Parts: sequence; structure tokens; C-alpha cells
Amino acid sequence: MKNFYLLFVMIAAVYTSAQDHQMHDMEGRNHEGHLHDTMVDGKLLEVNAERFDDFVLGLEGKQVAIVSVSGMVCDFCARGIEKTFSKDKTVLKLDVDLSGGKVLIAFDKDKNIDFEDIKKKILSNGQNATDLQIIKI
Amino acid sequence: MGIKYFYTFLLLIGPMFLESRPISYSGGSTLMLKSNAMQNSAYYHYSPSYKFSIGIEQVKDKYFDADYSSLRLTYLLNRKNTQHSQRNLYLQSGISSDGVDHYFYGVHGDWETRRLFSGFGYKETQTASLDYAEKYLQLGVAPYIGEYGDLHTWLMVKAKHDELTNEWNTYPVLKLFKGNALMEIGYTDASEWDIHFMYRF
Repeated sequence: MKNFYLLFVMIAAVYTSAQDHQMHDMEGRNHEGHLHDTMVDGKLLEVNAERFDDFVLGLEGKQVAIVSVSGMVCDFCARGIEKTFSKDKTVLKLDVDLSGGKVLIAFDKDKNIDFEDIKKKILSNGQNATDLQIIKI
Repeated sequence: MGIKYFYTFLLLIGPMFLESRPISYSGGSTLMLKSNAMQNSAYYHYSPSYKFSIGIEQVKDKYFDADYSSLRLTYLLNRKNTQHSQRNLYLQSGISSDGVDHYFYGVHGDWETRRLFSGFGYKETQTASLDYAEKYLQLGVAPYIGEYGDLHTWLMVKAKHDELTNEWNTYPVLKLFKGNALMEIGYTDASEWDIHFMYRF
């Protein structure tokens, strides 16, 4: 009975893993070596894989801040985020992911990324920055 | 209560019907152009912060063949952001160049996700000869979810009630926006085509 139980658990684990893997492939997130699979502070990057991979093209040696933003429900109301950060000369590139509720901001590798400053800039557009992940490219 | 008062009412509260996003981001400016059967107007406002905007509206009154300006102020009383939604409550007011006895004040609010929109408004207008109130409800759905930079589309229905006729009038509104430009097109039997263009910079 014990062996049967162990066998059942193993089959279930393999099945679950396969399902996860299949889902991962379907979402286009399982490209070996791509940065969206990287763990940051123990958490997998919560980004749109394709969008993120496109964004980091040409950013080798830079760093990217992935900012989670709440209240970013429409394109028109997110425009101010792009405007605000475009005034910051240390920002190399920016992308808004409406579906994921993320703002991707590229900086030079030496830039000290200040989450409080980012929060302030996001708030000036009327939204709230709730989380920050930084990844070196 | 004559048809003239009815048209006066529509003329004065008309801008409210198709108005959206009354406050921009901090330091942002917005230009709105509107045209319908009874008036053309140009409204510019500046937002010192995301919480309020101040602006001036120039109105060409087709029905009375008159021109006037209004100084307008909008204040964001409350906003609730979540990961998938935003809720807003605004206070608005304005005073006309016709005199201090011609002004309006009101409240309007909305709640939206990327798929759904709902909004309401209440506005009280006072003139030297007439005081009246107006209220509306609006519901909308996005037929598809666009990404940042795409053309976005909203299909909406608006129902408004005015004290002068004591009737609800319901009509469709199509909203399109891309980048910094937004256009709303509405149609009512009372005011025919109502077109509103907005650009932020």
C-alpha cells in the first residue's frame, strides 16, 4: 500500500510538472538562457516573456528595473509614466506592459536605482508602484 | 418650460457628457475640442498635480449665437488603485465670464478595468435665470484588450436624466484612443452627433 502511495505521488508530481512545463511553453516563457527565467530575490521575474526579451535586446551590461504598478488600467492614463521618466536622463529605455501591470526601465549598470524615487514618479501620474525587481543584463 | 430652456440646459451641460480623464499627470496639459449641433468649444487645462486641474474653456454657442469663456477647476477627491482596476471620484466646478451668477459644480466618478467601465455624474448649474441639475450613468466594454501603443476601442452606453424634461435619454458612445489622442463619438436624438477630441502633451 505504501509503494502504491509513493508511486501515485511520483506520477502525480511528474504529471503536474509536465503540465506546468507545457503551460510554460505555450506562454513562450521557456526559452533556455533567456533572462525572464532568472530568479531575483528568490522570485521568478513576473514579466511577459516575449515583451521582456524584446526589451532587453541591445541592453547588455545594463540593468533593468521591473516595477509593478497598480491602477495602470488604460493606455491613455499610463502615458504620463512614459513622459515623466523620459525627463530622467539616466533612463535609457522604457516600456509599459499594461497586461502585466509592469513598467520596465533600463538604466546604466552603475546607476543606483532608488525605489522611493520611482514610486514618486509613478504617483505623479496617479498610480502606485508596489514592487521592484532589478536584473542585471 | 420652453424649448429654449431645454436647449440652454443641453448647451450648458453638454461638455460634461463626453468628458473623460479630467485631470492629467503632474505637469501635463490637455487640449479638448468639442463640436455638436449646438456648440463648438475648446478647453485647455493644466494639471499641477495628478489631483487637480485648472483650465479655461472657450465656447461658441451656435443656438444663441454667443461666445463666452469659463474658468474650470477639477479636483480628484478619491482614487483607489488595484492591480486590475482604478476607481475615481472627482469634484468639478466652473464660473462663466458672463458673471458670478453663472457657475456650475458637481461630482463624477468612474470605475474601470481593462475590459469594463462604469461611471456616473451629477452636476448643478446656476445661471441668473435658471438653476437645474443633471445626472448620468455610463457603462462600457472594450471589445478587445489592446497593448500599450495600440488603438484602443470602447463601446459605451450612456443614460442621462435632466430636471427640465424629467426624462432619461440613453444613447451609444464610441471611444477610440491611441497614444496621446482620444476621440469620443456620441449620438443623441436631442443633440445629434457629438464629437469630442482630446490630446495630452
